[in-house]
Amino acid sequence: MLILLLIFLPVALAPVSWLLGRRSKSLRDGFVGAVGLLELALALFAVRGGAAASVPALCTMGFSFVMDGFRRVYTLIFAFMWAMTLLFSPDYFAHHHNRNRYYFFQLLTLGATMGVFLAGDLYTAFVFFEIMSFTSFVWVIQEETAGAIRAAKTYLAVAVIGGLVALMGLFLLWDTLGTLTVSELYPAAQAAGKLPVLYTAGVCILFGFGAKAGMFPLHIWLPKAHPVAPAPASALLSGALTKTGVWGILVLSCNLFRGNPAWGTLILCLGAVTMLLGAVLALFSIDLKRTLACSSMSQIGFILTGVGVFGLLGEENALAARGVVLHMSNHSLFKLVLFLCAGTVYRNLHRLDLNEIRGFGRKKPLLKLCFLIGAAGIAGVPLLSGYVSKTLLHESIVEAAAHYGWALTLVEWVFLLSGGLTAAYMTKLFVAVFVEKHPIRQAEFDGMKRYLNRPAALALTLAALPILCGALPNQTMDWVANLGVDFLHGESLAHAIHYFSLENLKGAAISLAIGAAVYLGIVRPWMRRDGNYVNRWPQTLDLEELVYRPLLLRFLPGVFGAVFALFGENRLTAPAAKATLQAGKTLSHAFSDSTDALVLGLRQTVLRQSPPEDEDPVTSSVAYRLGDRLDRAARRRGQRGRQTRAERFYRSRRTRQATGRRIRGNLSFALLMLALGLCVVFGWILFRG
Amino acid sequence: MENALFLAALGLPLLSGATLCLLRDREGRMPGRVALGATLLTSALVWFLILRAGEDTHVLLQITDSLVLCLRFDRLGRFFAGILATLWPLTVLYAQSYLEGKPRLGSFFGFFTLSYAVSLGVSMAGNLLTLYVFYELLTLATAPLVLYPMGKKALRATVTYLIFSLGGAAFGFATMAWLLSVDAGGVFSLGGLLNAAPDGTAMQIFFVLGFLGFGVKTAVFPLHIWLPRATVAPTPVTALLHAVAVVKAGAFAVIRLSWYCFDPTLLRGTWAQAVPLALVCFTLVYGSAMALKQVHWKKRLAYSTVANLSYVLFGVLLFIPAGLQAGLVHMAAHAATKILAFCCAGAVYCRTGLEYHTQLNGLGRRMPVTFAAFTLSALALTGIPPFNGFVSKWYLLTAAAEAGTPLAYVGAGALLLSALLTAIYMLIPAVRAWFPRRDAAPAAPAATREADWRMLVPFVILSVSLLALGLYAAPVLNAAAAIAGL
Repeated sequence: MLILLLIFLPVALAPVSWLLGRRSKSLRDGFVGAVGLLELALALFAVRGGAAASVPALCTMGFSFVMDGFRRVYTLIFAFMWAMTLLFSPDYFAHHHNRNRYYFFQLLTLGATMGVFLAGDLYTAFVFFEIMSFTSFVWVIQEETAGAIRAAKTYLAVAVIGGLVALMGLFLLWDTLGTLTVSELYPAAQAAGKLPVLYTAGVCILFGFGAKAGMFPLHIWLPKAHPVAPAPASALLSGALTKTGVWGILVLSCNLFRGNPAWGTLILCLGAVTMLLGAVLALFSIDLKRTLACSSMSQIGFILTGVGVFGLLGEENALAARGVVLHMSNHSLFKLVLFLCAGTVYRNLHRLDLNEIRGFGRKKPLLKLCFLIGAAGIAGVPLLSGYVSKTLLHESIVEAAAHYGWALTLVEWVFLLSGGLTAAYMTKLFVAVFVEKHPIRQAEFDGMKRYLNRPAALALTLAALPILCGALPNQTMDWVANLGVDFLHGESLAHAIHYFSLENLKGAAISLAIGAAVYLGIVRPWMRRDGNYVNRWPQTLDLEELVYRPLLLRFLPGVFGAVFALFGENRLTAPAAKATLQAGKTLSHAFSDSTDALVLGLRQTVLRQSPPEDEDPVTSSVAYRLGDRLDRAARRRGQRGRQTRAERFYRSRRTRQATGRRIRGNLSFALLMLALGLCVVFGWILFRG
Repeated sequence: MENALFLAALGLPLLSGATLCLLRDREGRMPGRVALGATLLTSALVWFLILRAGEDTHVLLQITDSLVLCLRFDRLGRFFAGILATLWPLTVLYAQSYLEGKPRLGSFFGFFTLSYAVSLGVSMAGNLLTLYVFYELLTLATAPLVLYPMGKKALRATVTYLIFSLGGAAFGFATMAWLLSVDAGGVFSLGGLLNAAPDGTAMQIFFVLGFLGFGVKTAVFPLHIWLPRATVAPTPVTALLHAVAVVKAGAFAVIRLSWYCFDPTLLRGTWAQAVPLALVCFTLVYGSAMALKQVHWKKRLAYSTVANLSYVLFGVLLFIPAGLQAGLVHMAAHAATKILAFCCAGAVYCRTGLEYHTQLNGLGRRMPVTFAAFTLSALALTGIPPFNGFVSKWYLLTAAAEAGTPLAYVGAGALLLSALLTAIYMLIPAVRAWFPRRDAAPAAPAATREADWRMLVPFVILSVSLLALGLYAAPVLNAAAAIAGL
């Protein structure tokens, strides 16, 4: 019951908020805030106990929901994120249009996202996943600028294509295994054996969920859509919605392909590429929110790398499983606080370019502290939560390297390098916004003392607090990890982990050292010119512009166009249709004419009518006699005509007779008569009762 | 008693339609109101029959021993009649608003009501001969409706429509004649009437001929040309007849032919299945691709109908019960969805005169209910959960998997490709209407009003039904399963 409330309460209250918003804006703002807090209270309540729920027959296959440890953690995180963003939103949106629409879809998406995570089978997950994609589309397009519309179209295209491919995969899976229930996938797959069709299905589903997660090479929408959405929505897109994609990949990797090294390798490769590519893109970006968006992509890469290693490790996967769970939840919380900080900057300046917002954060201690916590957390600075999860992931890679040799050592270095880049781009952001001075507007920036209202400041502070859990990892984060690993079917730990041992600190130190080197060696000298940040990324190097758009908008329509032009109306279709109809016409004429010919032939031969009686045909006919009378009458009145009426009437009667005979002898006429007769019969039967 | 009820259900729209036709020059509101009253009464009667009537055969006319005109209201007929009886009154209500102030309303509503009688006749027909007679009458009753605008284009469209329909029926006639000659023209029964296994080749040839003949109305490639052209007719006609009644009557006839006259088990796996199925798979993609190409909004929707009818036929032609069930579910789903989409396009045309979907910039704000309804229909047609289109698509896919033949898998792939194209061509107008580009000129003057209640009531009812039948599809699914004998 509680599970259903978590999902359907926001959905049910969304129309209420919309109606309220038409009356009073402040009432609506208060209402949605209250809904957020209510959801948080429900989630807190749900943490205490696990249960399952199902709604049979809804959407034909019925929905099933499960509440386990992992889902409890994530229910809580989602409810927390939504509550904080809803608290933050009224201030951010103070001067925006279409707020009513935004809040309406905010609540709908909350329900849908909860639905994906709580789903007990992939069918339910897919239904809510699709709903979520479409409701969150409105977030991306909310600002209705040219950039937003373009990004939103890309988002929609990826969502639709991803959804359909995933549907194909689900249906293959359903066809092969006969079940989509998460807990039954593993035994069913074991029973089915290693079928190629299972891999096809897996890759199709991976395509759908990976697109949402921002996995390479389907990440194209992410760096574009996240920056153009309003900041609270960006926080949720980055922190929450990408995790639904990861959820799907986890279900595949930990159930369908549990302990399958081939699948693990696939995820590991994709994850490593995503991790590095995201970090590099983030380093080059000079837009505050775009950097954060690319960072999201990179962090998803970290998580996927963990998932891949998890698949490779088999029995010794405890560290990887804990790392994945913790890094997922950590990343959600980092992105919440970081995007709220970015939102604060945007709310005051309506700019996101690093050169234009330089120095905004000086003399704003709350903002500075919150951003610092988020940035240091994501960079993996010890005593913050990011350090804990990254250490676990790193240790698991090292463990895998012991089994698999140099390839995993390479992954380890990619991992450390990406961690270093994370530190570098976060430093870049922090220095630009909070340390450097704006050449012109610095005094104006420093004067902005009321840059946040109280609820928004509260939201920001609360969002930053959980990151501090990293100071006491064994007491707090282990609890989360213990709750979560069951979902991944991870092994239990042999012994407690000493997070702050020298070995573990060394990994973080290497990463941070790389970060410092990159920042001092590349960012400072190369990515700045005359004190301004410049984007050194070649503009033409864009996967979407270079490959996908030409492929989808030029190549495919070209091919389709060429093919269908062949079948176009004037080339093939119309002649084919005409030929078909001509054949039909000939056929039916043949049928009809042969009957007529038969009738005619019979009349000329066997059934030849005997000639009429010897009666004078002219004088005995009614027409002739009528004409004759009229002629006489006319003659009596003294009129004269060249042709008498008697002859004219008689001739026309002959013509009518001949035509009539021809018509009546025709099959078509018989059919017509039949139809008329039918109508009469209908009427007769009707009146008879 | 039941006999009389059946005749009343057919006779009421027939007589009122004929009466209205006689008053063809009447203008004003009278013809519409009479038509609405007659349609409502008939629909009530039909629903009563669907729920209560038995499955007896009512002989109308016995010409010879084998040539009999008879009515029999079996489950399949009830299913189709249910769709018609639900949608007809809604469309007539819509038409009142759409055609307000137009000339020759008497003849318009007259023929509109006549077509109701004839479509019901198709659904109630008890054997192939009766079906054929009503099927031909349907062409004749609806042709004047296409002609209604009286322009050059309308004339051309009507001629095309007549040529295609009547020409196609010739094939159907040949098949019927063959079936009668092998003594299989009796009352429809599931599993076919061919008792002694007849000559295989002749059976296959005549099945394909019959499929093509009845396929004209279901707009199977290459016999689809008439359908996009017929969009010149007023929207209620396009919406109801050319998205539901006429084209679905074609699909219905194909079901009758393949499942109730021929034996699907005999046809399964032969070239007589492969050829129609290949045509259908091609049409699936072709229709959607052509829809994407159109800038004229109603033509786009018409091509979309071409593709969606092939979804139905795809299910039916798999020749397994699950396929028949899926096809029927899609028939019902598409009927409600497409009628809604067409009606929205018509409402926009009625209010603003805009015919091209590229012109809709920001119109969503002016006509919110209309465009909300259109967006829902777009999502449903694409097959986004939790709308009804998703249910039918899921069932079609699983049926294809159950059939397991290569062509079935090709069809499943075509189905998904077509769904992708559907998403693009349906969502683009919706997005354009709701989220205009800031720099683009607004589509319509600020004074543009929302459609009036006679349009909005059908919109709301249909939108709710799309969602409701997606969330809880059991009634439709069970009805279709019972027909397919599952």
